[in-house]
Amino acid sequence: MTAALAEKNSAPGQAARPTTPPPSTPRRTKRERAFDDVPRWQIYLPLGIYLVFTLIPFYWMFLFAVRPAGSTSLVPWPMTGDHFSKVWNERSFGLFFQNSMIVGIATLIATTLVALAGGYALARFDFKIKGGFMLALLCSQFIPGALMLVPLFEIFKNLQLINSLVSVVIAETVFQLPLSIILISGFIKNVPVTLEEAAWVDGCSRFRAFCAVVLPLLRPGLIAVGSFAFVHSWNHFLFALMFLSEQDKQTIPVGLNTLIGADSVDLGALAAGGVIAAVPVVIVFAFIQKWLVTGFSAGAVKG
Amino acid sequence: MTISKTQRGRAAAAVSLTAVLALTATACGDDGSGSGGEGSGKGEITFWDNNGGPRTAIWTEIIKDFEKKYPDIKVKYVPIPIADVQSKYDTAIAGGGLPDVGGVGTAYLANMVSQEALEPLNKRLEGSTLKGKLVDGMVQSVTAAAGRGDDLYSIPTSANNGVLWYRTDLFKAAGLEAPSTWPKFYEAAEKLTDAKNNKFGYTIRGGAGSIAQALDAIYGQSGITSFWDGDTTTLNDPKNVEALEKYAALFKKTTPAADVNNDFTKMVAQWDTGTIGMLSHNLGSQQDHLKALGADKFAGIPAPIGESGTRVQVSNPVDGLGLFRSGDNKEAAWKFIEFAASHESNSKWNESAGAIPANTEAAKDPWINQTESTSLAAKALTDGSTTIVDLPYYLPDWNNISKADNEPEFQKVMLGKITAKAFLDKMAKELNEANKEWQELGNG
Repeated sequence: MTAALAEKNSAPGQAARPTTPPPSTPRRTKRERAFDDVPRWQIYLPLGIYLVFTLIPFYWMFLFAVRPAGSTSLVPWPMTGDHFSKVWNERSFGLFFQNSMIVGIATLIATTLVALAGGYALARFDFKIKGGFMLALLCSQFIPGALMLVPLFEIFKNLQLINSLVSVVIAETVFQLPLSIILISGFIKNVPVTLEEAAWVDGCSRFRAFCAVVLPLLRPGLIAVGSFAFVHSWNHFLFALMFLSEQDKQTIPVGLNTLIGADSVDLGALAAGGVIAAVPVVIVFAFIQKWLVTGFSAGAVKG
Repeated sequence: MTISKTQRGRAAAAVSLTAVLALTATACGDDGSGSGGEGSGKGEITFWDNNGGPRTAIWTEIIKDFEKKYPDIKVKYVPIPIADVQSKYDTAIAGGGLPDVGGVGTAYLANMVSQEALEPLNKRLEGSTLKGKLVDGMVQSVTAAAGRGDDLYSIPTSANNGVLWYRTDLFKAAGLEAPSTWPKFYEAAEKLTDAKNNKFGYTIRGGAGSIAQALDAIYGQSGITSFWDGDTTTLNDPKNVEALEKYAALFKKTTPAADVNNDFTKMVAQWDTGTIGMLSHNLGSQQDHLKALGADKFAGIPAPIGESGTRVQVSNPVDGLGLFRSGDNKEAAWKFIEFAASHESNSKWNESAGAIPANTEAAKDPWINQTESTSLAAKALTDGSTTIVDLPYYLPDWNNISKADNEPEFQKVMLGKITAKAFLDKMAKELNEANKEWQELGNG
């Protein structure tokens, strides 16, 4: 209709030029307009102050890690790699890093897979003890890991899993599962069941429909749950300390604690170990922060 | 969507099965307190190092020497972080999986003995090459700490001693003498303080481990030489109250305000920055001071001498090696203990750790006299110039009373929220009750 009108108004013999409508600006909400009126410094100054407080401990750790022993300089110059070399080579942090990576990735995979199955069951099926089961999942969050140490130790001993990374992976997975199942179940509930039903009508089995239709929509939730499981198992100290009694099986948090002696502490080595321990976590968060926030908020609010 | 009854049933069955499996699994297991056996004297033994990390290199060397001497025995070395060694032992005692040999400090020896985890070693020591070659004071200390009469549950390997570290350069610049007496200590603390320029005379321990250091200062000043007067502790004696009042008054006057949360790591790190005159710690931090300050800027002496004219110190924990009851190869494990406590190994270990050897021959080695602080500490423990007040490590409640229960109370004393007398009265009451309970169990 717009083109016809343009043709009508154009001079005879002159080709009608299509006109493009002016770009429509989205209407801004009252809150957004109020935000625009705030001077920028009122936003960035508090954020900057907060950032300084947040980053000072990291700066301190980095400073101790790179400055030579005995230096009291407040800037990381002159720099040395001695502390990194010491913890990586002499204190077996290379091996601890590898073990932590195995535990972290295995926990991530196990937690995500089991939480998917459990979350799907809770979201899509009704069974008699469902309410009680959900309550039990929530209550299990109140049980500290330390309380379960002795029973878990006995179980793993009977299963001959003491001194095996498998015991740590199982323990970490079990403690991650309740929250993960609740989160994933919230995500699955948000996926309309009619999508699955349409896939069933097209001949898909339940599993195939889940994989083809539901799973791609769960990406934020899977990333949130997986990263949470990885970071938690990466940082967790207690299970690794108790279930692993061989030096070549120990993980980074246990290794870090061995840098604190009864009467002396090698602060440079401890800081270098801290930097090594922090790197994977920082990388994980840097890549997935968008998904992580979306994942947790969506699962928490709508679940 | 309709969910069939079969599907509901499957889901319920899956949940039930999981619960049953979990419950069955938790019901399994034993308490890990087997009686073990002598074994063949060959094969593999496991050794838990109770200060894993800082001592890993020297233990690796000693184990290598041991395996060279006894090629039929292999030692599996497990380093345990010092802060968590007691919980690691407790879990293994409850759940099984104890090592054959383990490092045991006097601070938690009684706890392990009361759980029947360790084997008495008197008979083995009688027939050993170590007989008569261990420092008497240390043997007495570990025997007393176990709390089972004359039974010895740990072969002592080393002892530490309290040291007053001081900055020789700052003392010289201020025209001060070494703080060899308590009046000189207080004078130096005051003179070296310039709070406006962030310079302080002393750093006090207000966080974890504060009680032991405070007790050292209290008994050192009061000159009281015994922790018990009959069945009652001397802790809240008026002389001790007066000493604590004076000591706690140093906080914020001649020390940084942050000291209220100081554990040893913060305290040592703070002193090593170079702006504080004196630090009470032990021989263990000597290497840290060397790295940070250099050899010519500091020195260490045993605790200052009080008005009585005699140096009085509280006992420091003695480290040792224990043989576990549950071990299946005790003969090989004992060989390892004998080797580790022998002259050469004990000397090597203590030189590396900067501690005082338990082996009498090792204690005479030249390296002891090469460092003044170690030499003075060794003399203080052996030449009779110092009276040691034995702390009741044997009380099962000692760790709770001297740490979790009263460290926050000591912070209140520092902050002026309670009086020194109220603090010492409370702690004394708890100790008297713990001692009474311990005696009622047939001990003492």
